Amino acid sequence: MDARSEHPPGAATETAPGRYDGFFRPGYVHREIYTSPELFEQEMRHIFASTWVYVGHESEVPAQNDFVTRNIGRRPIILARGKNGSLHVLFNRCTHRGALVCRQAQGNASRFVCGYHAWTFGNDGRCIGVPLSHAYGPEFDLGAQGLRRAARVESYRGFVFASLNGEVMPLTDHLAHARRYLDEWIDRGDCLPVVVRAGSMRFETHANWKVIYDNAGDGYHPPFSHISMLRVFARRYGDVDMQYYSGNFDEAPLLSRDLGNGHTLLDQRPSMHAQSAWERQHVMPGRETLWQELNRQHGEDRALAMLDASTGSGMNLNIFPNLLIIGNQIQVLEPLSVNHTLVHWFSTTLEGAPDEVNALRMRMQEDFPSFGEVDDTAQFEACQAGMEGVPEMPWIDIRRHMTTDAGHPGEDGIWTEPISSDQHMRCYLDAWRRSMNAGAAREGGDV
Amino acid sequence: MSDAASAPAPGAPGGVFDLAFYRRMHALVQAWQGLGEIPADRLPCAEDRAACERLLHTEARLIDALRLEAWLALFTEDCAYWIPADVSAADPARVVSWEFNDRRRLEERVERLEGGRAFSQIPITRTTHLYSNIEMLISGADGMEVLCNFMIQTNLCGRVSQRAGWNGFLLRRTAAGWRIVLKRISLFDADLAQHNNSFTL
Repeated sequence: MDARSEHPPGAATETAPGRYDGFFRPGYVHREIYTSPELFEQEMRHIFASTWVYVGHESEVPAQNDFVTRNIGRRPIILARGKNGSLHVLFNRCTHRGALVCRQAQGNASRFVCGYHAWTFGNDGRCIGVPLSHAYGPEFDLGAQGLRRAARVESYRGFVFASLNGEVMPLTDHLAHARRYLDEWIDRGDCLPVVVRAGSMRFETHANWKVIYDNAGDGYHPPFSHISMLRVFARRYGDVDMQYYSGNFDEAPLLSRDLGNGHTLLDQRPSMHAQSAWERQHVMPGRETLWQELNRQHGEDRALAMLDASTGSGMNLNIFPNLLIIGNQIQVLEPLSVNHTLVHWFSTTLEGAPDEVNALRMRMQEDFPSFGEVDDTAQFEACQAGMEGVPEMPWIDIRRHMTTDAGHPGEDGIWTEPISSDQHMRCYLDAWRRSMNAGAAREGGDV
Repeated sequence: MSDAASAPAPGAPGGVFDLAFYRRMHALVQAWQGLGEIPADRLPCAEDRAACERLLHTEARLIDALRLEAWLALFTEDCAYWIPADVSAADPARVVSWEFNDRRRLEERVERLEGGRAFSQIPITRTTHLYSNIEMLISGADGMEVLCNFMIQTNLCGRVSQRAGWNGFLLRRTAAGWRIVLKRISLFDADLAQHNNSFTL
């Protein structure tokens, strides 16, 4: 797809009619894309096995032979750092009987030995040992027994993506305008490198993975879903961050942007960071003591610049299909079944920042998950239950700002709508539909 | 809830969470994880042991009864309520937890839950807390470290599930009796996926 987004989202994107068009009508999407187990299986092939999927961050495997185990859709994979620093993405599936060859979440290993019959593989996937191999006959070729590798692996400034489809477009083309915002997110932390070794939280959600993706770009829900959190902070601290979600907040400087290829952005920075992000942020544990300490060590101006880097990024950057950057966290969707998803929140620190700053970042990164994400999860599960339970009402409403003429191309040509728009859903579901149609056309089967 | 006039002002003193505090917490947890037999000189007298055990039982009972304001009153002004997201005694200044609340944030947590609009607890998670394997170590003149295993039976909208693990408590003898300085809830699967833990653990 053309990375530029000058067209109003929701207007017809020129594509040939496809098998999945029937799940859409203007401003609506059919519930079955969230509730059908067959469709979920098709998504695992036509989306997760067909496009670029985020698998991990380079800082998670900093040293030679480091590895983490992850999933591409439901396919278990190993992300390993090889001898010369290269990155390998391997199917975690023994070529012999199919067992997982690596059963640890992370570690350091130059080789993986399958626990079943000790077939042994280098961390580049090569098969380097098969016990009693004489029994396979004289023609046995060790070189042909290697672990299967992802067709493509590319890193964009530390973010490692893999594709099981060798025909996929280059990663930078796929990222389209999301590249610019990834750059801004990476570069905002007082010019220090972002490191993803500060632990993680995995939320279990009884909902389809797209219900969560829907929410990631939903700038309509915050004052309603998060009223309990916003009220507590307003009562205690006044006009702090996120209190701008009140009244007609579509008038506030808050933006929804279409970044191309199903990627979108909610940009709260014009409101959240208008003055000092730190001074406007509601209170974190350690705020006063650590602030004083940084003032003492570095002076007030320098301390404030450092503390601004501890606050939330003010961006919700959604990179289809599984990478959601929220605040300072990297959120990864792990679909398990049609109505069961893990949402994996990876925390980040800034390499070389004062310990005080990273300690505040940790407390900040517990803030929304414990006061906000829990309420979002309740909405996800309520949506899933309602959609599954009421077949008489098949259509899901995604009409906001379709007919208000409120959208416009920004100065940079990126299509921009008010924050409460549903353009996020219209954009990514259009990418979903095109990817599914293309997959069905390749397979030539029935929906 | 009290009105806005009684709310703490922004920037009110509250944070004991400085780097020295994190170092103390980290060292305490490492000591707990390395603990063998409790040395004889750290075993409390029967009277203190009984008083501390009563406090734990009261604490569990008030949670299960959803009497969270009364529950909060069992904690000191410099308290912490901590749910790590790892099972390896990681440094909380460098590694994220599920929650690491000081008194101020703990009060916010209770206020959020009791405000009637916290959707993660509509309907509420019903709980029954069981504490067992209770071990106590004298900690200075007026302190007690308490380790215990917990099992929390829950029911959310008809779905029954359990939480299990061990708690590390730090208690302090005050004029009002024994009070909680730290409650560290170590879920045995804290590093794995968790469902709704927005109730009081």
